[in-house]
This record gives sequence, C-alpha cells and structure tokens, in this order.
Amino acid sequence: MSRFRAPVRRTKHGIVVAVGAEERALVVRLLGELRALLTEGLTEGADPEQADETALLRRLFPVVHPDDPEAEAEYQRLMRDELVTSRLAAIDSVEGALRSAEPLTDEQALALMQSINAVRLVLGTMLGVGEHGVGDDPEQPEVVEALEASPEYQLYGWLSWLLEWTVRAQT
Amino acid sequence: MPTTLTPAEVADPGLDEVVDVDRPWVVIVWNDPINLMSYVTFVLQKLFGYSLEKATQLMLDVHHKGRAVVANGSREQAEMHVFRLHEHGLWATMSHDE
Repeated sequence: MSRFRAPVRRTKHGIVVAVGAEERALVVRLLGELRALLTEGLTEGADPEQADETALLRRLFPVVHPDDPEAEAEYQRLMRDELVTSRLAAIDSVEGALRSAEPLTDEQALALMQSINAVRLVLGTMLGVGEHGVGDDPEQPEVVEALEASPEYQLYGWLSWLLEWTVRAQT
Repeated sequence: MPTTLTPAEVADPGLDEVVDVDRPWVVIVWNDPINLMSYVTFVLQKLFGYSLEKATQLMLDVHHKGRAVVANGSREQAEMHVFRLHEHGLWATMSHDE
C-alpha cells in the first residue's frame, strides 16, 4: 500500500507542490487571467461590459472607510495602484516558481497563497458564495444545483483544497 | 532684588480647543464566506505575530460575531495593516477607536 503524501509539503529544500503538470499549467493559466483582469478590468470608462469585471474585483479591493467617502477616496487614490502592483508581483513570483522544477521558497509559497486566494475571491464572487453556500439562496435549489455543476465551482473547490494544503505546509 | 518672580503673562493655550489629531484607530476584519478559516488564522499569525491560540480566537470571533478588532494604532499604522490584510485577501476596514 502506498503511503499518502500531502500535495503541498515542506521538505528540507523548500515547499514542494506535488501536483501534476496539467494542474500546474491550470494554475498558471488562472493567474494569467487574474493578471488580465487586474490590468485591463480596472480601466475606468463608460463601457458597460466593464461593469461586470469591476464587480468581480470588488472583493480584491475592499472599502476601507465605509462611513467616510472623503477618506475612502483619499485612501484609494493613494493605495489602490500599490495594491494592484503588489498583486501583480505575487503573480509573477508564482508563475516563475511553478514553471521551475525547484521547490518553492517561503516567500514564493506565500505569493502562491495570496494569488490562488485572489482567484478564489473572484470565482466566489462570480458564484455568489454566501453564508448559505454557493448561490447563497436555499429558496432557489435549482439555481444552486446549476452553480454547483459549473466548471467554475469545481475550480473553486479545487483551489480551496490546494490553498488548504499550502497553509498546512506553512504551519 | 525681588525675592519672587513676577508671573509672566502667557497666552492661553486653549486646551479645550486642541484637536486630538491622532486618536487611535482600530483595524477590523469582517466575516466573509469565501476565505478559509485556516488561511485567516495563518494570515493573522503572519502579519501580527500572534500565537496560534490568539489568531484562532480572533478568527473565531470574525466567524461567529461577524467581525473582530485585530490591531490598533495611529492612522498610518492602521492603513499599513489594512493594506497588508488586503494583499492577503481579507476583508478589512479601519475606524476610530470608540
């Protein structure tokens, strides 16, 4: 009987992400989509098609001063671009690490967690994940069922699994 | 030579009018259904150096009570904490300590 080995684990050489090549490629592709959303979806404009993308990003850029619009505008003016830059740097770090055969450093593993969690936040927003789960409306079981059958939900669940194991490897 | 000094008149500093420019701010993490409990605990430990026990308790407060104050300090400190929490995807706001 083969011994179970955690898909993400700490070794003396670093953090090993022992998922298949296809799964690695999937994460890299998702990070590329996140980068595109961050860089292209934030352009202010009147294009109504951008409204959906902006909504998807709202959990990545939470309101800091909910009761003070002036302070909120000032904070976002100063910090929003910096947050985008930070997220893009994390994505770059993870992409490089996943394309390499080397184990991840602690810093790269942290960037992996930040980045896949950012993708989860976008997917979770897309799926309407709430206190009652996906769709967040027990009164509409057909909607919940359809969402749970979607590829996005499967992806969301897989990324949650990967994040959970990455946290375990760090603690 | 006078044996006592005559009190000099000084301008009233107007203490009642002094504005408390740096009243402490608190950093609040809010419950959200997407972030994993283990991940939230890990982030609180990493960013604030909290023990596993304290970070777990704060995470449970967020989960059960809807929010928890995770740090406090000057405006600049609070903004830095909020920024780092946002980098990790947590839903954080800041407000004046009450």
